[in-house]
Amino acid sequence: MTEPLNIRALAVGTRVVLGSGAEVEIVSNPGDGIWLFGRYLASADDPALVGAEEMIFAQDVIALRP
Amino acid sequence: MALNATRGYHSGLVDLTSGLISREIFVNDDIYAQEQERVFARSWLFVGHESQIPNPGDFFTSRMGEESVILCRDRAGAVHVLLNSCRHRGMKVCRYDDGNATVFTCPYHGWSYGTDGALVGVPFFREAYHSELDRTKYRLIEVAQLCSYKGTIWATWDAGAPPFLEYLGGFRRFLDLMLDGWDGREGQAELLGGVQKWIIPCNWKWPAENFSGDTYHNISHRSVDLVGVGPSGRSRRDYGELNLARKLHVSIPDRGHQTITYALPPDHAPQAAYQNSPEVAEYFRHCEEARRRRSANQRLIGAPGEIFPNTALLPRQPRTLAVWHPVTAHQTEVWRFFFVDRDAPKQVKNFLRDYYIRYSGPAGMTEQDDMENWNYAHAASRGVIARRHPYTYEMGLGHAVENYEWDGLRLPGRVVDLTKAQASEEPMRNLYRRWAQFMQAESWDELMPWRHEAAAVDARAAE
Repeated sequence: MTEPLNIRALAVGTRVVLGSGAEVEIVSNPGDGIWLFGRYLASADDPALVGAEEMIFAQDVIALRP
Repeated sequence: MALNATRGYHSGLVDLTSGLISREIFVNDDIYAQEQERVFARSWLFVGHESQIPNPGDFFTSRMGEESVILCRDRAGAVHVLLNSCRHRGMKVCRYDDGNATVFTCPYHGWSYGTDGALVGVPFFREAYHSELDRTKYRLIEVAQLCSYKGTIWATWDAGAPPFLEYLGGFRRFLDLMLDGWDGREGQAELLGGVQKWIIPCNWKWPAENFSGDTYHNISHRSVDLVGVGPSGRSRRDYGELNLARKLHVSIPDRGHQTITYALPPDHAPQAAYQNSPEVAEYFRHCEEARRRRSANQRLIGAPGEIFPNTALLPRQPRTLAVWHPVTAHQTEVWRFFFVDRDAPKQVKNFLRDYYIRYSGPAGMTEQDDMENWNYAHAASRGVIARRHPYTYEMGLGHAVENYEWDGLRLPGRVVDLTKAQASEEPMRNLYRRWAQFMQAESWDELMPWRHEAAAVDARAAE
């Protein structure tokens, strides 16, 4: 289990890694600590997601991409 | 006359032939529970004002009956009124009084809704729900009908209710007295400052009855009159123009709305007012002159009134609207909104703010008088002995007139001229007549006798 990230503090443009291994760039942060709006940059499990914008649940975010 | 279930509301708990009303309608928990379904889930209720949500994403958390609702403007600019309860387990999705949001997120399990009420975020949608949940079935619950009238926003949960303006009927011109500008231009009101909210230990119908037009309790405010909280440093209000006017009770039958109003003679000149501030006095003198040229309502002066069931108007001095939100049979949460013309000078707005809060609200001197009466009357009506004895509403019974006209001014509904009589209980009887109709009727079809009358007239004309 990874340490939880404070997603409220993540700025637009930040890249994060999801539990599925997918990489997402933050396009908007409503600041509720629960959701982010992000665009898929990579998704090995489901390549069709690349380019799609979706709401990203906080618990799905496991790491920041340096 | 305690609870008499066999006789029902009409001629039982609310006997307007004799003018007697049981105390049970104020203190009985079962009646209160029934009111939530019969009255508050079917009526048009005041929710807020457009000036509270000018921009996309703006929201104001309001109430309809006991329930929390979100008044918000979505990203496309459309106004919505949404039940503030997550479709998954019911948690409030918005716990702020107001603000701007992209989404409303439930803090319990994280379901998230757009400002249009659409369910946009479900945690583990793919993993836990296997992408099978139909998200379109779980939007936030939205009101059945919504109406924005001169900036005020009203809503009802009942799709069968008539449109808002039909619900208002002939009372519309009295609501206009508050929403139109002091100079007679249409719909100039905006909210001044925040909403004052507080809880009082009485049934919601106490203040509703009081604001229906109880002029009989003026003795309660005598100390405030003596202190002189008015904008001219005397009494509660400026009475110069009222001394020229006829003082009237106007009740709209079949609708349950009623008010005090003052009718001025034709060709009346503006009277001095707001003399505590020469600049403010000059502003109002200018407005009054413009109003006389411009407004069809220019011979009427607004005064306390009530839109059924729980919205009270005080259109003139101070210019405020109150909502009596039911909490329990024995508790009411009062929300008081203060209004001012949006293009009034800052100095005028500041002057009025001071006057408004000196008069109304939890710290207002006049409202404190009223609350003392309501709170103690309610408490003293709960005992087993007290509940056996009904209240009398006999004052002025049978003395209202229809088709009232005075010097070319015609008024709708049933009118009592108070200029000599000083007081009547016709407005209270009108309120409780409508309340009893709501409590007894199975559907809106029974609550719209005017439609049946109109249909009968059409049928006769066709014959």
